[in-house]
Amino acid sequence: MSVRQKLEELKVSMRPRFKEWKFMFKRIRENPLALAGLVIIIFFAVLGALAPVLAPPPAGSINAFKIPKDLEINVLTPNPTPPTWKHIFGTTDQQYDLYYACIWGTLTAFRTGLTVVGISLIVGLLVGTIAAYYGGLLDEVLMRFTDIIIAFPGLILAMALVIAFPAKIPINLSMLFVVVAALLSFLLLMLRPSKRLLLAVQAVLILSLLSIFYYPLVWDLTLSRLDKVLISITLVGWPGYTRVIRGEVLRVKNEDYVEASRASGSTDFGIIMKHVWPNTVYPILIVATLDIGSIVLSAAALSFLGIGAEPDFADWGQIIQRSRAWLSRPEQLIPNLHTFLIPGIFITTFVMGWNLLGDALRDVLDPTLRRR
Amino acid sequence: MSLATVVEVKDLKVNFYTYAGVVEALDGVNVSLREGEILGLVGETGSGKSVTSLSVMMLVPAPGKIEGGAVYLNADTGLNDVLMMDDSSLRGMRGKDISMIFQEPRAYLNPVYTVEDQISEVMLVHRKEEFLKNSVDLLEKEGRGRSVESSNYRRLLKNPRSLSVRLLQRFYSKKTLKKEVTKEVVKVLKSVEIPDPERVAGMYPHELSGGMAQRVLIAMALACNPRVLIADEPTTNLDVTVQAQILNLVRILKRDYKSSILYITHDLGVVAQLCDRVAVMYAGNVVETADVFRIFGAPLHPYTRALLESIPSPERGFKSIPGIVPSLIDPISGCRFRDRCTYAKEICQKVKPPFLEVKKDHSVACYLYGGSQ
Amino acid sequence: MTSLTAYIIRRLILLVLVILGVTVLIFAITMMFPPEIRAYMYIRNAEQARPGVIEQVILIHGLNDPFYVQYGRWMSQVFQGNLGWSYTSTQTVVAAISGRWVFTFEIVMFAAPIIIFVGIYLGVQSAIHRNGLIDHICRLASIIGWSLPSFWLGLILISVFSGQLHWVTIGPLSSGYIDFIADGISSHTWTAYTGIHVFDGLLNLHPEITLDAIRHCILPVCVIVAIDVALLIRVMRSSMLEALNKAYIITAKAKGLSKNVVIYKHARRNALIPVATLSGMLVAGLLGGLVITETVFAFGGLGSWAARAALSTDIPAVLGYAILSAVIFVISNLIVDILYAYIDPRIRLE
Repeated sequence: MSVRQKLEELKVSMRPRFKEWKFMFKRIRENPLALAGLVIIIFFAVLGALAPVLAPPPAGSINAFKIPKDLEINVLTPNPTPPTWKHIFGTTDQQYDLYYACIWGTLTAFRTGLTVVGISLIVGLLVGTIAAYYGGLLDEVLMRFTDIIIAFPGLILAMALVIAFPAKIPINLSMLFVVVAALLSFLLLMLRPSKRLLLAVQAVLILSLLSIFYYPLVWDLTLSRLDKVLISITLVGWPGYTRVIRGEVLRVKNEDYVEASRASGSTDFGIIMKHVWPNTVYPILIVATLDIGSIVLSAAALSFLGIGAEPDFADWGQIIQRSRAWLSRPEQLIPNLHTFLIPGIFITTFVMGWNLLGDALRDVLDPTLRRR
Repeated sequence: MSLATVVEVKDLKVNFYTYAGVVEALDGVNVSLREGEILGLVGETGSGKSVTSLSVMMLVPAPGKIEGGAVYLNADTGLNDVLMMDDSSLRGMRGKDISMIFQEPRAYLNPVYTVEDQISEVMLVHRKEEFLKNSVDLLEKEGRGRSVESSNYRRLLKNPRSLSVRLLQRFYSKKTLKKEVTKEVVKVLKSVEIPDPERVAGMYPHELSGGMAQRVLIAMALACNPRVLIADEPTTNLDVTVQAQILNLVRILKRDYKSSILYITHDLGVVAQLCDRVAVMYAGNVVETADVFRIFGAPLHPYTRALLESIPSPERGFKSIPGIVPSLIDPISGCRFRDRCTYAKEICQKVKPPFLEVKKDHSVACYLYGGSQ
Repeated sequence: MTSLTAYIIRRLILLVLVILGVTVLIFAITMMFPPEIRAYMYIRNAEQARPGVIEQVILIHGLNDPFYVQYGRWMSQVFQGNLGWSYTSTQTVVAAISGRWVFTFEIVMFAAPIIIFVGIYLGVQSAIHRNGLIDHICRLASIIGWSLPSFWLGLILISVFSGQLHWVTIGPLSSGYIDFIADGISSHTWTAYTGIHVFDGLLNLHPEITLDAIRHCILPVCVIVAIDVALLIRVMRSSMLEALNKAYIITAKAKGLSKNVVIYKHARRNALIPVATLSGMLVAGLLGGLVITETVFAFGGLGSWAARAALSTDIPAVLGYAILSAVIFVISNLIVDILYAYIDPRIRLE
């Protein structure tokens, strides 16, 4: 069959799915709260994308995320200054430009939310799907493990991890090979039984052989404080996704179409890709959207406690933490209010955008409540 | 309307306002249920049988809306149009004058309440006075006619809406009342041939088999001795042996309780066994109504004829009606069966045939039998 | 043995396993720290916390031995009741916990019922009047609440009510009353029956202390409620909407029951089932959420203690808090599961 014919076929087969998406988008457009959420997120995305234009880093700076200090204003007064034409939002103590911090903080927030959710999602998908699909002892062991991590007080654990993590991690490349081998064998589990054992053994053997050559090579990975925060939150948060995904896969696994697919000879991997994941993606998407907001708040909380980003890093939580000292005495409140309110409004609005969208998605994608 | 008619549906129009468009589910339906008979309402899925039955009790769910017509109910309170009733009259009517049983019995029973809870609920709504009176008499006989319990019952009897008594309801003992109600519940469970009714009364719906659950639903429907029972495909989800038992039960109900039953089904075999009269529905209209023997022996409407011919048999083999049911969104003009009808004429494309009585007690909506003036 | 008993026993075994797993995991994390810090896990009282003693402790307890040996040794010590010495609070961990849990409990005691009852009520109302005014208001308010950083909200409330209006000070009790109670304990005019100021005030016939304690609780409780009630409203709403769509609601209407009875007796009872389990987990999770709030309000409860400990790498304290938190979490899981089996008759058969 020619390429054109194949394309036509694909278009026809996807038509019902397109129709569903069109219906979904129409519902989103009609829902004012969903629209508001989307508008807010797009606004921040644009803000972040245009950061170099809106708040250009001072000449000669290496890391754009480091907030510039204004050294012209009296360096001896650590007090924040209110908004002026030169500093649109004013400055915080130590004369950091608040406007710059807030704009670049947008990028930090996106980076935080998307990275953590992205990695947690991938890990959760792998672990949750495998646990739910294969069941039995594997399921029990994996679930106990995730239960243990969930049982931890998340914030405290994250704090402990941030402090415990060394700034430089020596990564032994042979370790990397072992990890890759393990992942590969996991994936190979999902192929046909006749092939998988052979392939798995071959892969592990080859990789182990290769790893011997790389043993002496060690590479130092430097982590900034923000990186440590991201890693800690991810390590604490991935079990949540695993549980949700496992629940969804369990639900789908027993449906008739999965059994029918298996009866017609599909591989495990094929079933998962074609049937299981497309039917479970919606609830997972909702959880992920709502979680981005929570994660940004958690990161801000860690900054508030003092173990977040470095003191001059453009991060909203960090700025609020700086302003805390200036709130205790009543006479200092009004002149310094801007240092506290403005970043707070940024965070709240950002998180609210994601929450509105996630909430509206939940309403839109709920199959029982849709066609009314 | 003759005195013997209990329910008359006249020209009923129901629309469903969905995302995909306005579905004209019922387009002028005419059905009448006579006293003491079993009327079978037959049709394919989507023909509008369930919507008709729900409309009789004003239970059409959103996004459905009744847009025209009338449903006359000949109850103890006289002749009333159900569609014009206010809320409290409707509530008084449901469960007492008309009751309904449904297709998937375990889904239609509340899973967190016992059988007894759910049956006694409907009894207490409609027969409370009777129970209170019996309780008072019973207490009198036991020599406790002057007890707090008895005086509370009497006060409730005199003034059922009294605020003080209703507030105190939680505190005084209602043991006698409960005992009376339980006795009735067991009695009605026995009447639907449930074995060991005392034990079943304490069970939860998920502990019942399909057949038992359907009997419980029937018992619940009969609890207040309704004049009319609407059965919406009650045996479709049950296996054949259980189905036979339930059908037998329905026959007994008609004989002993003299109820009028509107039996909805798509199974012509059941219709032949059970019903006195039959109304055939297609795409939101009633196309033919007649005595069961006439329907099977001498069907008039082309759809009825095609339906009967499509019953598989060794001689005929498998014969289906060509074409599909037309969409009810923006429906076609004229008779809705015209695209599949072998006798379709020009007038059938333009104007919908009226529903006329062309022989004694035999009504059809088809231009083959007149109506084209 | 009934099925319910068997179920409980199986869950108890899992509970023990999970708690053990928690201890292993967090012990492994502590191994990332040098022995000098880890020595504090084995110290019993103030004398041993002096610098010279630490080296001896390291030698005695073999803090350079392999992992499983140390773990075994530490676990046996834990079972004897010694969780180590917290140098940030200069007490044993056990003493620190027993002194501080009351403040955390005060907040949870008020916050939990408010969240649950308000959440259920508003959730049901939102579902009944779907897309009506109350639905939109609840939704917007709960989303805003859920989006606020708890520390930010707390700081705003503090600066307004404490800083500007001077209605209340930060902390669990006014300083005057704190001294009063301290004097009372030493002179035996005050008995700490429960340790919880709200109750002790009444029990010692000093209602003004109870009132003062309540007044100090208001702001932290407001912060917690504002943020967490959102979740409950959403879940109750969707659960209620699902219940209202069920087939048995049609049956209930067909029986002639009034709208209120159908909604509150039939639908809500079914809708409450998943909400009940969520509420249980929410209350258990309040412990974790209090870390930030307690720190902001300087409430002196477990949360602020654990936060300070984590920041100063006070390992025994963090360890103790983690174990306590895990135990509470797992036990509430168990209670919630039993409750679920009790409420929903369908589960009992499994």
